[in-house]
Amino acid sequence: MGNPLRTAQDRRLPRIPEPCALVIFGVTGDLSRKKLIPAVYDLANRGLLPPGFVVLGFARRDWGDGDFESLAYEAAKKGARTPWREDVWQRLASQFQFVPGSFDDDAAFDSLASTLDELRERNGIAGNAAFYFSIPPAAFPLVLNQLNRTGMADNAKSGGWRRVVVEKPFGNDLKTAMALNKLVDEVFTPEDVFRIDHYLGKETVQNILALRFANSLFEPVWNSKYVDSVQITMAEDVGIGTRAAFYDSAGAARDVLQNHLLQLLALVGMEEPTSFDPNEIRAEKLKVLRAISLPKDIGAGSVRGQYLPGWVAGERAAGYLEEKGVPADSTTETYVAVRLGIQNRRWAGVPFFVRVGKRMPRRVTEIAILFKRAPHLPFDPADVEMLGNNQLVIRVQPDEGVVLKFGSKVPGTTMEVRDIAMDFQYGEAFTESSPEAYERLVLDVLVGDRTLFPDAAEVEQSWRVIDPLEEAWTGTKPEPYRAGEWGPRASDEMLALEGRAWRRA
Amino acid sequence: MIGLWDTTGNEVVKALAAERRSAGGVASGLALTLVAVVEEKKVREAEAAATIAASAHPCRLLVVVRSDLEGRSRLDAEIVVGGRLGPAEAVVMRMYGRLALHAESVVMPLLAPDVPVVTWWHGEPPDVIANDFLGVVADRRITDSKLAPDPVAALRQRAVDYAPGDTDLTWTRITLWRTLVAGAFDTTEERVTGATVVAPADDPTAALMCGWLKSRLGIEPKWEYTDKTPRMHSVQLGCANGDCVTVTREEGTALFSRTGQEPRYMPLPKRPVGDELAEELRRLDPDQIYGEALGAMAGLPNLEQKPPMRVHVWKDPALAARAGEEAGAMAGPGGSAV
Repeated sequence: MGNPLRTAQDRRLPRIPEPCALVIFGVTGDLSRKKLIPAVYDLANRGLLPPGFVVLGFARRDWGDGDFESLAYEAAKKGARTPWREDVWQRLASQFQFVPGSFDDDAAFDSLASTLDELRERNGIAGNAAFYFSIPPAAFPLVLNQLNRTGMADNAKSGGWRRVVVEKPFGNDLKTAMALNKLVDEVFTPEDVFRIDHYLGKETVQNILALRFANSLFEPVWNSKYVDSVQITMAEDVGIGTRAAFYDSAGAARDVLQNHLLQLLALVGMEEPTSFDPNEIRAEKLKVLRAISLPKDIGAGSVRGQYLPGWVAGERAAGYLEEKGVPADSTTETYVAVRLGIQNRRWAGVPFFVRVGKRMPRRVTEIAILFKRAPHLPFDPADVEMLGNNQLVIRVQPDEGVVLKFGSKVPGTTMEVRDIAMDFQYGEAFTESSPEAYERLVLDVLVGDRTLFPDAAEVEQSWRVIDPLEEAWTGTKPEPYRAGEWGPRASDEMLALEGRAWRRA
Repeated sequence: MIGLWDTTGNEVVKALAAERRSAGGVASGLALTLVAVVEEKKVREAEAAATIAASAHPCRLLVVVRSDLEGRSRLDAEIVVGGRLGPAEAVVMRMYGRLALHAESVVMPLLAPDVPVVTWWHGEPPDVIANDFLGVVADRRITDSKLAPDPVAALRQRAVDYAPGDTDLTWTRITLWRTLVAGAFDTTEERVTGATVVAPADDPTAALMCGWLKSRLGIEPKWEYTDKTPRMHSVQLGCANGDCVTVTREEGTALFSRTGQEPRYMPLPKRPVGDELAEELRRLDPDQIYGEALGAMAGLPNLEQKPPMRVHVWKDPALAARAGEEAGAMAGPGGSAV
């Protein structure tokens, strides 16, 4: 019959999960300290966690609860976005427990299972638990088998829901991704698997759907009749940091193109979902991913790059080959630009230029829709020299917002037209109170809302785009570019060949 | 910042345009116009609150201070764009004399084109909103019964005077309470059979809490008066199977207890007015749940069916005062007029 105190109209009441436990594997790791623990604190501070909420940290350290607590304290205090309130933290910390052990240690998992059982009685959490895998993918099978062995992943046995949260990378290619999906889906039920792509937790990314499907202004021109091309850019000013081991085996395409960028492309290119039901949205996204076409000649339609030493933002930056842990003869790419297409009636013939890179001049992620030039310009050609394509740019980060670029008359006595940008920033408006992506996604997992999580089919389909690229690239060397530049020159030439140019993001 | 003394509405409009131009690209994406009706001594407080709210909802803030109705008509204005009032563009207007009765003549040309208008009375709310044109022109009206001499009576008056689109900050103040109480029934199918609210007799939030429980659950909540705490102390719900859920306030936290489970502490902070205002500005359509709760509290059903638009009713305080004097004189020495 449902809760009589809740109605859909009462939008002031936030969604609060049922009493549950969050089990974090690899709780001492980077991701957990920088994102997860602060997100949990922020949720608690906003009053969005249920009574009886428990965090169980699992990691391979010889620690008591106290050591773990001080690590969590540091992490939460450093990363929290809401004001620090000691009493909120104290109450939350009193519900933190640390379970030490390695992933092949049966006893540790038995003790984890019995801890969860105790909590069911003591905290009234009815067996609800989410397992967060903040661990290297190589350890997944081990942990999953342990969860399977102890019956912790079993909804029926635990008497509540048991969910699992997996971070990227979702495999290394189609084959490994399918194996991983199969394994996770066997241990948990497919509906209980949440794959986190934190880009989808960002306000602006969700706003792509609002922009497209809540307005009548943009949809009529959102097709090959009016759109000349689409550019999706994800540039980072940082290098690979301490991720050399992982990064050198993966490269830019596997690291971010496969997930973040293809998800953005899917949101921009998808048809209107029948409703905002998670399954409907996934169905439409999957259709677009399936329709993606690769360049006929991958060598000509894609560019790989690798950064050389240089200067970024006033600081000297080492080259990729000099980074710690990278082999001196590595051919891993730190930059990728590729010309994709979408084979359906809406997008036939519209190129989607997608580029990602490290050590670019600045950190920016944006989607630019470049419209066709007006079919006829009744002006003197000299007067419209400065008029470019009309553009609609969705800036994902930083300075979330939307820019509309169009021609306007230069004030004065001559009829001169040039481009101006009309800039709408969410930054001023919403970021202050809008939740960080992880906060939103962790809450969604606990509530059980799957809208923002790609499913196995989407992940596998994305690999079907990446695998042929990787295959074509084997044995080739990436083009060098200086750190602090917008990628290798070959990438500019690729667009110049067809009379286009990258937007300076 | 520009200060204009003894000025006119047109000068204010021009000065605002000039400030926006010279400030550059600060003012983009206005979501609404917020008209704050305040008295002089509360101006700073209202500005601080509006600054917090504006950081979540970019708006044009028009602060109207009306005073000295007997004196000479005069308008002073202060224009701030992107300064101490945060991302909002703000005009603080002080109106004296007969002009104060026609504040809308200055405010109307300053409303941002085609975005919703929200009027917020930070002070004693008007008895009848239709008497204040600043309320008639608004799509949403926010009052604060807490600031009236008799808050519960003021809240009842809000029910009598209700139109969809009205809300009272009393309602905003119990959102966290309602969240806790509603959360308790997400996981159980038990029917609620009774409720007890412990609060001071003059606490309007308790009145609304009772109204909400009554309208949602169809029960008659009991209001137990206490003078030990200045604000609502606890809400207790009893279920058909004898289980009990209690939420008790303890200094910025709530003790949440339920039969058969260990009690838990949950955050229940007192929020600044700015946060409450920001919550109000999230929703610019009528809050039906509030309408139902208010109606149940005052015993006035079907409030939500009242027309959402008000028609301005002219009320001249000078005339009323004169009529009062005459009536008083008619009643003779020691007599009083009703």
